[in-house]
Amino acid sequence: MSETSIVGKTVLRVDGPAKVRGESRYGADIDIPGALFLKVLRSEVPHGLVKRIDAAEALKIPGVVRVFTHADVPGENSYGIIVKDQPALTDKVRFRGDALALVAAETDVAAKRALEVIKVEIEELPPLYDVWAAMDEKAPEIHAKGNILTVSRVKKGDVDAALETAAVVVSRRYTTQRVEHCYIETEAGVAYMDDDTLVIKAGTQNPHYDRRDVSRVLGLPINRVRIVQSATGGGFGGKLDISVQCFLGLAALKLGRPVRIVYDRRESIIATGKRHPFFVEYTSAATKEGKLLAVKAKIVGDTGAYASYGPATLNRAAVHATGPYEVLNVDIKALCVYTNNPFSGAMRGFGTPQMAFVAESQMDLLAQALQLSPLEIRRRNVLRPGSLTATGQRLDKSVGIGATLEAAWEKACQVMPGLGGEAR
Amino acid sequence: MDLFQLEMKVNGEAVSVPVNPGLRLLDVLRDVLHLSGTKEGCGEGECGACSVIIDGELVDSCLVLAPQAHNREIITIEGISADGELDTLQSAFLEAGAVQCGYCTPGMILAAKVLLSKNPKPGRQDIARGIAGNLCRCTGYAKIIKAVELAAAGLQQKEGEAGV
Ligand code: FES
Ligand code: FES
Repeated sequence: MSETSIVGKTVLRVDGPAKVRGESRYGADIDIPGALFLKVLRSEVPHGLVKRIDAAEALKIPGVVRVFTHADVPGENSYGIIVKDQPALTDKVRFRGDALALVAAETDVAAKRALEVIKVEIEELPPLYDVWAAMDEKAPEIHAKGNILTVSRVKKGDVDAALETAAVVVSRRYTTQRVEHCYIETEAGVAYMDDDTLVIKAGTQNPHYDRRDVSRVLGLPINRVRIVQSATGGGFGGKLDISVQCFLGLAALKLGRPVRIVYDRRESIIATGKRHPFFVEYTSAATKEGKLLAVKAKIVGDTGAYASYGPATLNRAAVHATGPYEVLNVDIKALCVYTNNPFSGAMRGFGTPQMAFVAESQMDLLAQALQLSPLEIRRRNVLRPGSLTATGQRLDKSVGIGATLEAAWEKACQVMPGLGGEAR
Repeated sequence: MDLFQLEMKVNGEAVSVPVNPGLRLLDVLRDVLHLSGTKEGCGEGECGACSVIIDGELVDSCLVLAPQAHNREIITIEGISADGELDTLQSAFLEAGAVQCGYCTPGMILAAKVLLSKNPKPGRQDIARGIAGNLCRCTGYAKIIKAVELAAAGLQQKEGEAGV
C-alpha cells in the first residue's frame, strides 16, 4: 500500500490549539457591538390555533424595539430538512414549545420582561401524546395531510410460510424512550446585514440546508444569505435542524441592526429535536439449529410535532431492523407518526440504535428458547462476505461483525476470568 | 440600581469595574471583561463549563455573584497559557485527543489544573473524581483522563529536570 500523509496516522486537529486556549468563538462568544437581544415566546399549550397575539404592553417596555409574529414572516413560513412543515413563528401550535413571537430589545432583561406581558389567545385542540391515538382515524389532524407521515417497507421472501416451518418463534413488544442530545453548548448565534446580504453566524451542523431554509422563510434570493458556522459545541444530529437561524435572519433583515440570541438550557431542551421514541412489535423465527428463518416487524416512530429527519430515521430503522444478521424472509413496516410531543429528528444512528436494542433482545430470547449461548446463536447468523441483507444487497467485500464477535469474546474471557470455562 | 465597584485579580492583573451586583461572575468575565473562554452550559451548577479557579479552588462561575468575587484572585482559561506558550495540560489535551467540540475543554483543563496542584500524582480514580463536576458530552472521558495522566507525567519529568 502506498504511503499517505493522513490515513492511518494521528493528526492534531486544526481547531485544537484555539480550543485549549479558550479562543474559539462559539455562537454566544461572537463580539457584535450594538446588537439587539432576541428572545422567543413559546407556547405553553401543546395543540391549538393562535387567535390573537397582543404585544402592546411589551412594546411599552423601555428598550423593547419590536415584536414579530407569524404575520411578519415575509417568505414561505415553513422549513424542514425533508418536509417543509415547521413554521418559524407559528399560527398553529403543535407542541408545548412552539415559537409564537420573537422579541428584539436593547437588553436581555427588557427582552425577557417583554415575554411576560405578551398576550396570546389560543383556541385549544385535544392534544395527542401517543402514536396509537394519533393514528386513530378519528384523531384530530396535527398537519393537513394527516398524522401518518411516511410508511417504509422492507420485504423479502415469504415470512408467513417461514413462520409455519420454524422450530421456534418469539414475539415481543418493545418501546424505547425519547432522548435529548444535550450538547454542552446551547443554540446561539448572531446576524447582521452586510450591504444587502444577510450574514448569520451560528452553531450548526448544516450550514447549506440552513441557507436554503432561511432564504425560503425570508423570501430572499439564496445569494443574499450567508451562513457561517461558528465553532459548534456538540451536535450529535441535534444541530442539523434550524433552531435560531430564522429568528436571527428575520430580525436582522427587518430591523437593519445586528442581533444576537442565546438559548438557555431550558429552552434548548424544550425547543429542539430529540431521538425518536420507538414502539415495535417484533417476531423472529429460527430453525432448531438456531438459524434465523424470518423476521416480521411493525415499527412506529414518534416524530412529534414536526418531521425533521423522521422519515429518514424510520427508513433507516426498517433497513436495519434485522440487525447484523442474515435473514431469509423479512417483512418490515415502519411508520413515522406525528404527535403533539416535542419533535424528533436525527440523533447518532438515525433509528438504528433503537432497532439494535430490539433485534439483540430477540436474539437472546431465541438463544434461551433453543438452549444455545447468546454468543453461539449470533455466530450462526452473522452477516459474512457473500451474505444477502434484508434489502437484497449482496455483501461482497469485507464484513466485520464475525471477527468483532470473536475478538469481543476473547477480550471478555481475559477480563472476566472464569467466563471461558463454560462450554460455549 | 447602585453599581458595585468590583475589584479582583484576573489572570494576574488587577481589575476594577463597576458592575450590577446582580450579575454572576460568569457574566462579568464574559460580557464585561470579554473573556469568552469561560462558557455557560446550564447556568445552574450542573455542567462545569463555566469553571474558573478562585483562590486556588475550582468554582462554577455561574453560581458566584459578582460581589462574592471581590478581592479574590481569579484564573480563567485565558490565564493559563501565559506568554503564548501552551501549558502542559493544554498540550496534553491536544496530544491525547481529549478535545472534540471543545466546549467543555476550558472548564476541564482548569479542573485538571486544580487537581494536579493538590495531587501531582493522581491515579485514575483521583482524576475521575477531580473532573466529576465537569460534563463532556463528546469524548466519553477516557481520553480526558489519559490527557491528565500525560500532563501529570510531563510535569513530574519537568520537575525532575529542574532538579527539584
Ligand atoms: S454553566 Fe455553570 S455549571 Fe453549567
Ligand atoms: S469535547 Fe464536546 S463537550 Fe467535551
